[in-house]
Amino acid sequence: MTEEVNKEELKQKVLEYLAKKPWQVRDLAKVLRVKKRELDKIVQELINEGKAAYWSSGSTTYVTTKDKLEEMEKKRSGT
Amino acid sequence: MTDVELPETPLLDELEKGPWPSFVKEIKRAAIEQEKAMKAGKKIKLPGAAKGLLKVLELAYKEKRTHWKHGGIVAVVGYGGGVIGRYCDLEDKVPEVWHFHTMRINMPSGWFYQTKALRAICDAWEKWGSGLTNFHGSTGDIILLGTRTEYLQPMANALAYLDKLYGSPAPFDIGGSGSDLRTPSACMGPALCEFACYDTLKACYEFTMRYQNELHRPMWPYKFKIKCSGCPNDCVAAKARSDFAIIGTWKDEIQIDQEAVKEYAKVIDIEKQVVKKCPTGAISWDGKELKIDNRECIRCMHCINVMPKALKPGKERGATILIGGKAPFVDGAIIGWVAIPFIPENELIEKCCEVLEAIWEWWDEEGKFRERVGELIWRKGMDEFLKVINQKADVRMVYAPRNNPFIFWRELNQ
Amino acid sequence: MVAQEVEKEPEETVEIKTDFGPPHYEIMLHPIIKKNYGKWKYHEVVRPGVIKRVAESGDVLYVVRFGSPRLLSVYTVRDICDIADKYSDGYLRFTSRHNVEFFLTDPDKIEPLIQEVQEKLGFPCGGTWDATKGEYGLSNIVHTQGWVHCHTPATDASGIVKSVMDELYDYFTDHKLPALCRISLACCANMCGAVHASDISMVGVHRKIPKIDDDAVRRTCEIPSTVAACPTGALKPDMKRKTVILDKDKCMYCGNCYTMCPGMPIFDPENDGVAVLVAGKISDARYPPQLSKVVVPWLPNNPPRWPEVVQTVKKILETWATHAEKYERIAEWIHRIGWERFFELTGLEFTEKLIDDYKRTPYIYASYRTSAAFRW
Repeated sequence: MTEEVNKEELKQKVLEYLAKKPWQVRDLAKVLRVKKRELDKIVQELINEGKAAYWSSGSTTYVTTKDKLEEMEKKRSGT
Repeated sequence: MTDVELPETPLLDELEKGPWPSFVKEIKRAAIEQEKAMKAGKKIKLPGAAKGLLKVLELAYKEKRTHWKHGGIVAVVGYGGGVIGRYCDLEDKVPEVWHFHTMRINMPSGWFYQTKALRAICDAWEKWGSGLTNFHGSTGDIILLGTRTEYLQPMANALAYLDKLYGSPAPFDIGGSGSDLRTPSACMGPALCEFACYDTLKACYEFTMRYQNELHRPMWPYKFKIKCSGCPNDCVAAKARSDFAIIGTWKDEIQIDQEAVKEYAKVIDIEKQVVKKCPTGAISWDGKELKIDNRECIRCMHCINVMPKALKPGKERGATILIGGKAPFVDGAIIGWVAIPFIPENELIEKCCEVLEAIWEWWDEEGKFRERVGELIWRKGMDEFLKVINQKADVRMVYAPRNNPFIFWRELNQ
Repeated sequence: MVAQEVEKEPEETVEIKTDFGPPHYEIMLHPIIKKNYGKWKYHEVVRPGVIKRVAESGDVLYVVRFGSPRLLSVYTVRDICDIADKYSDGYLRFTSRHNVEFFLTDPDKIEPLIQEVQEKLGFPCGGTWDATKGEYGLSNIVHTQGWVHCHTPATDASGIVKSVMDELYDYFTDHKLPALCRISLACCANMCGAVHASDISMVGVHRKIPKIDDDAVRRTCEIPSTVAACPTGALKPDMKRKTVILDKDKCMYCGNCYTMCPGMPIFDPENDGVAVLVAGKISDARYPPQLSKVVVPWLPNNPPRWPEVVQTVKKILETWATHAEKYERIAEWIHRIGWERFFELTGLEFTEKLIDDYKRTPYIYASYRTSAAFRW
């Protein structure tokens, strides 16, 4: 039970962080002090739920929220 | 004669001249024929993309600079790779290619095709994209060059149902990009080549299928490439271009057909072309019989390459694993180092998977952002790496032992 | 008024499917290939571009190879398919170097095929070699996207490749070289084309640090991820001014920051250009694999035909071809004659720019000479 709650809490926290900027999951794992593998799963769930998404430069990949991503794309096309 | 008007491209036109086939002609052809197809009533979602590319490219040639910028959303549901977002910085001038995203499509092992499959890809890409492709990209994928964000999903669906919707003998899936397992590739192997020491096509296919998650959902520090070459000639450049190179080789004696050697002796100078070129002087030829001292042979393939009718790799076949191959970015180029000198053919795929998974777990945990596995080994040391893959040191892993005594005796200094 | 419903395409209504993988290779194999899979006996070269493969069963397959421009329109791919249907039972293959191959069982059809491909596609037959005779053709150039699609290129890719191959065309269609020679091109030092182990390679190089447009950085960039994108730690955030500061001594001109931030472009028309490397090798034959070495630090971008680059590559290739022994690739030839002679024979200039000082790499001093044994 508590584990479920903790997981939901962590998921919420992850989402808050993802909303700030595009992340490398490994860096976020360090900030949140969780195992990368565990965070991978949470991020994957968020992606499947449509709340997070990938941003790719072609050679490397970042994760952020859908909203942040749209904001970034909009901001960039404004150049 | 065409009724399609093309932009003026005096600089690019120079590249239509000369005997080598011209990529400019290809772009022009896509521009003309896609527009014609549309006028003839075909469904074309992105007419004018190839024309837009001509405009952007002509400007790049004039100004000696690129007009593409940054990456973007990977807008195919369920995938984190295989799409390279690309935008043009001339949005107002050339809106046709403001979005110009690339899709990487996982090719069949060894790049063998039925025309039915290729035609189906062409039909789908004529409809949903620029009509421009690369056969193939650097890693080996089929590259579909240029479409808009909103067409990425329909095009991926077209490929996923390429059999049902377009008559392909099979559907096609998306390849790798970003920080993931890149699309594995293989030489033609046993399909066409008598040198193949293991089934490269099968190995490549097995890895690709087993690691679909790693291929499609990037979670690692950086890219990871697997390439399968059937013999030390290494026709897919696995040693230099893959983090994990599987190079076919053998352990026992080179098989010799002495009659065929005599046939070759009539047309080539065996002493000069074979015996003298052997790097370890393991071959002798007295005009009647070719002798190979197999204890001296290092299996470099030279003699077999010269006399393929007479010489063959031995019967005890398998592969050497080299680790770390990569381009110079960031800490310098690496040609892969020997990690496992020999794995017998019948154990090869399972053993590779076991080792791959151990490497990924270690690298994913320890690797820094943008650190390839070879660079991590530089940072952490070969002895730690050998523990990770559970291998004992073998003199075949080095050209020479170390030249300093500054050994980290970690076990004595816990 | 009810908005007219837009008719959906079938691709827009199907159920999403993922992770089913590429087609199984077996369904893509020509029947003769499938039948003799793993049972090929030997091969011989019939003529440049045509390899005869003989199976233990006695079956014979002629593999006919043509050079392609890599960038192909779907219309040309369809033409290729038409030809494969007519001559090759509906099967074909691409090589790792962008060549296309057809499979023939009837040797009488080889010439008509070559004729038809030349007429309809303009693709030359060649790109092969005859190791038995020690006579080699030049294969196609592997290369990257350049100005066609990349955002950090220091040069174009397709245009230089086309210009070089126009000049070296006869080497592709004939077997005139003493050994294998692999040429490759990458349009920047990130080297998507991995040209670090080729006999001759061309690499686009930036020479100036990115130009930071503070205003554009503020408007368009994510500062934390831009800073994190720098592999050498040359970028620092400037919190007060909401932009970034670049340490020019740490910057290696990779352009990764530009990937994250359109406000700091790396391209520079006058200073970008092409470096030329030689003496890389991947196969184990005779001599171990070698990394390529830089012999020309920079040549200007001179589109549309890059004459400086083309002439440099040609000069290196022809100097080697004139002086090398049979089977001696560029690395092996230089190993025999020495770098002193290489620079003398090619007329290239050796300068301090060619001495390694990239301190990040563990092998920085490995190329420094430690003996007084020279050639004069």
